[in-house]
Amino acid sequence: MAHRSNEKNALGSRSEIILRNIMVISLIAFFTVFFVIPIIMALVGSFFQWNPLKLQFNFLGIENWKGVFTSELFWRSMGNTIVFAVAATVFRVILGLALSHALYSRLIRHKTLYRTFYYLPTITPMIAVAFVWKFIFDPQLGLLNKILNSDINWLFDDRYALIAILILTIWKDFGYAVVILLGGMYSLPKDCYEAAEIDGAGAWQRFWRLTLPLLKPTILFIVITSLISYFQTYIPVMVLTQGGPGTQTYLATYLIYDEAFVKYNFGYASALSFVLFLFIAVLTGISFKVSGKNNAS
Amino acid sequence: MKKIFSLVLAFTLMLSLAACSGAPASQPSSSAPATQESSSAPATQESSSAPAPSQELPSIGNVIQYNPNQPVNDGKDISIELWYWTGAANLFQSLADKYAAIHPNVTIKLVENPWEDYWTKLPLALQGKDGPAIFNVHNSQHDNLIGYMAPYDIPVADMEKEFVGATGHIIDGKIYYTDYGLMTATAYYNTKMWEAAGLTDKDIPKTWDQFREIAKKLTIRKDGKLVQAGFSYNGGIQGDVLGMNYQYGQNLFAADNKVSLNNEAMKNVIQRLKDMYAVDGVCEYNFGNNSGDNFGQGTVAMFLGWGFMTNVLKQNFPDTTFDCFEIPTPAESVPYAYHRYNGESTFGVNKNAPAEQQAIAQDIIRFFLANDAIQKEFCLANAVFPAKGTLKADADLLKVPSIAVLADHIDRYIWPGPMPSTVENNVKIMLEDIFYNKADITKALTNAETTINKDLANLKFTSQEPMYKYASEAKK
Repeated sequence: MAHRSNEKNALGSRSEIILRNIMVISLIAFFTVFFVIPIIMALVGSFFQWNPLKLQFNFLGIENWKGVFTSELFWRSMGNTIVFAVAATVFRVILGLALSHALYSRLIRHKTLYRTFYYLPTITPMIAVAFVWKFIFDPQLGLLNKILNSDINWLFDDRYALIAILILTIWKDFGYAVVILLGGMYSLPKDCYEAAEIDGAGAWQRFWRLTLPLLKPTILFIVITSLISYFQTYIPVMVLTQGGPGTQTYLATYLIYDEAFVKYNFGYASALSFVLFLFIAVLTGISFKVSGKNNAS
Repeated sequence: MKKIFSLVLAFTLMLSLAACSGAPASQPSSSAPATQESSSAPATQESSSAPAPSQELPSIGNVIQYNPNQPVNDGKDISIELWYWTGAANLFQSLADKYAAIHPNVTIKLVENPWEDYWTKLPLALQGKDGPAIFNVHNSQHDNLIGYMAPYDIPVADMEKEFVGATGHIIDGKIYYTDYGLMTATAYYNTKMWEAAGLTDKDIPKTWDQFREIAKKLTIRKDGKLVQAGFSYNGGIQGDVLGMNYQYGQNLFAADNKVSLNNEAMKNVIQRLKDMYAVDGVCEYNFGNNSGDNFGQGTVAMFLGWGFMTNVLKQNFPDTTFDCFEIPTPAESVPYAYHRYNGESTFGVNKNAPAEQQAIAQDIIRFFLANDAIQKEFCLANAVFPAKGTLKADADLLKVPSIAVLADHIDRYIWPGPMPSTVENNVKIMLEDIFYNKADITKALTNAETTINKDLANLKFTSQEPMYKYASEAKK
């Protein structure tokens, strides 16, 4: 009796088991309907000339896949995407670290107010932000040229167009890193810092030898989530440059959007999507491995 | 209490999953649809007062006639949807009101979608039986829509007699839609800047050389810095470039319906545009990113725009005074064609809609085509040259500058056919490569040609250039 009672307690009461099962089945059903099935359909579709708008579904074999890997535009887009994602992530982390460290200082007052201001761009819809920045980048009337006293055509100069998209993205997203890193800093053990101070460590030494190593898991989390997010960027491109000038600012996801929703070439777009999916999956796998090694060490 | 709450949460989640499944969306988009029921109040149409119930209404139209006294759907109540893209809600409401005034048993629900969403939502809606019975058409989306369209039940011969360009829309002896208005590239100029530069109507250029000289006169620099551009094409001139080739006798499409861009005509066109900036100094590539907007803002004296820009400028920049002149040509002699035109399309009928709804849609189309007042209203709203013959000399329409410029040479404008959007999209990319990325013209033309023809291979496009009245004058 006691054994049976223990078993019952470990698993929960009958009604709890039923409730758990309902929740789990609902979640599985949700993911199956909205993620798994569409992904399978897209994979199948990648082998077809597929335009659902005119019910076209003709088998092409691996032609779409061959088209992806032999497309100059695809490789340029992937190159742009890697450069963009890495640069945006690096700046996000550096800016986030700098500002969160500043906010963490005892000298700063009204920390909540600053946190709110820094986080506001993050919660503003990207489409609205992109339209505002389009005006800021205007070569004649835009604020940026007036502040810098420059004459740059940000969105139509191939040297600056991708940089313009980077500036917008960093401005919008640095607040996320600030908030996460600030939270991380508040959770760091105070006794380490006290000990370091007693040992005569200066501010920079404390930051470099204590704060940074202790924040490594948080930084790694931001890096991984940032890379995954930036590999899927397309709204700034759609609003600011439409991939131009020419095709200089095509990013992978914008290329997918262009193929699917402008050219209605869903089969080819599906093949592109899967290549991007595999790339991100490999990246995520490497990131988790690195993260696992760090945790172990 | 906790268990009850958790059960309710789980049930709600399951309900939301069930609600999300179902047939392809035939409902209006999630962006606020402007569903508006037409009023049943009698509206003025040809007469200014509502007719008494027993009074017969006069028949409408010339070749295509409409009898407003003929009841529809046997007088029984019926509701249909008319889908359109954002931008002309009042226009379609006016049409719906006028039709409902004659047939109060018909309710026309107007459903508006933003332009980008419209072209994915409409074909998907047309696949089912719940889609709109009648819908707005743009010929750049012909390939995705034609499979869902029912032919007009108006005799083709009548359409050809009454509407310019109807012949080009015949498919297997039937017409599924045609043009109610024609639009082309037009030169817009700021009248105040024109006067300030000492120019008069006599200076309106006929040739490109004359145009370049005028543009130089209209260009103003202060301390070496450009403050007023004589002519700007920043922000996209692909719609205008695609058409300038005809001035050299060069068709846009070859006999096999493949696009032809890498030719002397197109090179001349592009080189001239480059020289206007580099040699004449009439503008710079970083002097604004939208020539139409910059024209309205008062920093550009001339730009090339299509007819619809007339109303865009009036609405967005009411203080800018402007006029139009016909696009210049290489020489004073009459060219093979001045440019191409594109049509504002008439409505499509959904062949998958229930028969009685299709009958109403066909009736609305006949009413729309026969009715000069409505045709004129639509042409004025879009600043397009009327395709309907009876309106060609309409004084009100000819007061619109972008319409008036077409009047003298309308038969010297060519319609290449329902050009798929890949043509303009890739020419836009090509021109940006040439102007901003300093790409070699020949290489850029070749790349664009290859990309477009790859896309055209998947589409059923047939060029209408052979149907042009002066097709025999084209370069071989």
